[in-house]
Amino acid sequence: MIDLKRAFARFRRSPAFAGFTLFLFVVILNILVQGPGQFFGMRNINTLFSKNMPLLLATMAMAVLLIAGTLDIAIGIQLALVNVVSIMVMQQWGVSLLVGFALGMVAALVASALCWLFCSVLRLPAMLASFSLIYIVRGINVLIMPNPQGRIAEVFYKTYDSRILGFIPFSAVFLILVLAIWAYLMRTKFGRSIYAVGGHPRNAFAAGIDPVKVQFQAFMIKGFITGLAGISLTLMTASGNPLQAEAYGLRSLSACIIGGLGFGGWGSMASAVYGTGFLVLIQNAVYYFFDLLFKLIPGFTVTSYWQNLVSDIIIFLGLLMTIVTAKEQREALKQGFVKQFKGGDSVAKQG
Amino acid sequence: MRDIDKRYDAVVACKSASLQVQPGEIRALLGSNGSGKSTMVKILAGTVKPNGGEILMDGAPVTINSGLDARNLGIATAFQDLSLIPTMTVLDNILLGVEPKGKWGTVDRAKAGSEVEALLERFHINCDPEAYVQTLMPSMQSLVEVAKAVYQKPRLLLLDEVTAALHRDEVQLIFGVLRELKAEGTAIIYVTHRMNEIFQICDTATIMRSGETVAHVNTSEVTLDEIVYYMTGQRPEAVSPHEAEAAHGDGADLVLDVEHIALFPKVRDISLKAYQGEIVGIGGLEGQGQPEFIRAVLGLTRPDDGRIIYRGEEVHFHSPADAVMANIGFISGERNREAMFPDRSVGENVFAGRAAKGGLFRFLTDRKVRDFAQAAVDKYSIVVGSIRNPASSLSGGNQQKLVIARWIAMNPTLLLLDDPTKGVDIHSRRDIHKILRQSADEGMTIIISSSENDELLEIADRVYLFYEGRVSGVLSGASKTPERLVAAMMGLTREQNGAAKETRQA
Repeated sequence: MIDLKRAFARFRRSPAFAGFTLFLFVVILNILVQGPGQFFGMRNINTLFSKNMPLLLATMAMAVLLIAGTLDIAIGIQLALVNVVSIMVMQQWGVSLLVGFALGMVAALVASALCWLFCSVLRLPAMLASFSLIYIVRGINVLIMPNPQGRIAEVFYKTYDSRILGFIPFSAVFLILVLAIWAYLMRTKFGRSIYAVGGHPRNAFAAGIDPVKVQFQAFMIKGFITGLAGISLTLMTASGNPLQAEAYGLRSLSACIIGGLGFGGWGSMASAVYGTGFLVLIQNAVYYFFDLLFKLIPGFTVTSYWQNLVSDIIIFLGLLMTIVTAKEQREALKQGFVKQFKGGDSVAKQG
Repeated sequence: MRDIDKRYDAVVACKSASLQVQPGEIRALLGSNGSGKSTMVKILAGTVKPNGGEILMDGAPVTINSGLDARNLGIATAFQDLSLIPTMTVLDNILLGVEPKGKWGTVDRAKAGSEVEALLERFHINCDPEAYVQTLMPSMQSLVEVAKAVYQKPRLLLLDEVTAALHRDEVQLIFGVLRELKAEGTAIIYVTHRMNEIFQICDTATIMRSGETVAHVNTSEVTLDEIVYYMTGQRPEAVSPHEAEAAHGDGADLVLDVEHIALFPKVRDISLKAYQGEIVGIGGLEGQGQPEFIRAVLGLTRPDDGRIIYRGEEVHFHSPADAVMANIGFISGERNREAMFPDRSVGENVFAGRAAKGGLFRFLTDRKVRDFAQAAVDKYSIVVGSIRNPASSLSGGNQQKLVIARWIAMNPTLLLLDDPTKGVDIHSRRDIHKILRQSADEGMTIIISSSENDELLEIADRVYLFYEGRVSGVLSGASKTPERLVAAMMGLTREQNGAAKETRQA
């Protein structure tokens, strides 16, 4: 019991707590407007996973970089790169889509290495460097595939939309895979180094860690997750489009911040999951809420822009809340200062 | 480890400095401001590369290019400004880089957890290992910093002013652990400015002055006065604080009266009075609260306690802009960070202080700026190509004169200067002194903080010495001697000096 209490106290202090609270709030909101039966229905859950897996994976890729103290807003267009490479390899060379996926993954890794070169080695500001990368990757995408085209075999997208053992959405396999790999990495030396590098590169260097090397590893992991996200996107859309998913770059970043990740060494992978969950489900809830209004009030009609406005305002409030929680942490720090200042003797007595 | 011998030249920070330490020896590394002791520590820790010289361990030369190299050689460091990662937990910080290996390349957290618990117990650190470092109190962070270094089981332990933020009991605690380590054969280099600590814990001392090692002594064979002599080239002559307070009384108006100001953590209790037409100097070792004090008066930071009375009224400035409106000027030695707009023109830089006082949308002609700037440039003989050139085109000394001209031209009632001649050539320095003296004679009150003792003695009417956030001495008139300045700078007031001697005899 005491252990449980202590664990909860720790969780409350952890950066993921704010994201978790928001996530919980939005789940309850969904249950209220849709009813638990519909919300937790197999179909609904399956659709939620399969339609939002690319964004969720992109957010997790972004989370890896944020923890390592850098970022890459070109993640979105890199999903399209993976998509384009996979489809064109299949179409032009007549090989299996799986080979296309493998090469798409390689493309994501190469793009990540390029971003690492810009941000970590050449030390360009990550925001600007990755912004320019958007245009580079977009140009490459259009070179490979000038206009939207291609179709993947039915077996692939049918599988993607299917459920394992009748209840696990197939797309969730991607999530479980990434979480499992990340859980392992967190228990290795790398798991500590990445936080150190993100939190304070100079001190990490003094502790014998090579920040450039650790950031390279982070970029490679991000490349791998981005590759999975691109594969997931291809399976979802079942076709190729060189200019899609660009907005995922900024959306994944905002999902990270809402989930409680900070710029550099603060937050966890759980934050990314909660943040994406919040972003996705709030739109869901608002949609069903307006649906409810249409039914309850006869003659009530508004355009879908209103729905977007409402959900965006709620997202903005969510962002504001992360500032409030960050402020609370600062307050705690300041209180510690005052305590020390006022009671140097009492502190010493404890010791 | 037999000897660490290290010489290197070409750097101003250290020239031909050397240092040796034996296993089981605690050696103090002493020196006054900018004597290069921190540089020595950083070189050994691998965060700074020497330009020359060599480091020998066990008689063989080694190179230390990174923190990893230092660690592999068995050197662990506790830094003054801490090397902890604030966003990580205490446990992770202590383990960082030395994680015990478990199965399949993972970190054995269970084993590590119990080891760290024992370590924290040894230091009597009463905190949750899973607590984030940024939520800990500063003294606790210092203890964790030392614990982290000790956890690496180093052969050579470097401690760089780790006790600065600690309470007396906590210092004794660390000393206890150091004695244990010493018995185990660890070599320890201990940097401090607290003179009484040296006699308590250190066996030997290396003393540095201006980047050179001037003496290697056994602490049992020297007196405090001798050490201070080596550090500063002056024999200390103890003063009692507030001695000179009454000495000033020629009827001038009191412009600034600061009463018992405190600003955690650097400023503990400082009172200071400045009269009209007076130059008040603030001196002391580095990091004794001088910049914090000046910025508190300016309203950049808000003090936790105490009162600031300016021109007879208690004031609470919310920002430097308030202070400027009240006719206070501020000049920082950190030109690039706090004073200059390097890409803007010389003229605009001079005018900046004036601009801060006018209305935001007041009409301003280019000509007005130019005339104002030209007058200032001529008056203070700043060497410029053209006042249209960017400020970064000037030399360091002229840049500083520019900043000073900016404020003097506004004729403030009170001018605050924080180490204004830092890195300024001797010629410009003399010019600056001349400008200041002239302004003071015209009725301006000037408070100048400086890390150079000669400068303080030369220019200030009265000198306040800060030590550990308190005023350790006030010198004026006849009491303004280098000997007394040095004594007060080291915190050797009459009472403390006696205490230190007693400790030594004990």
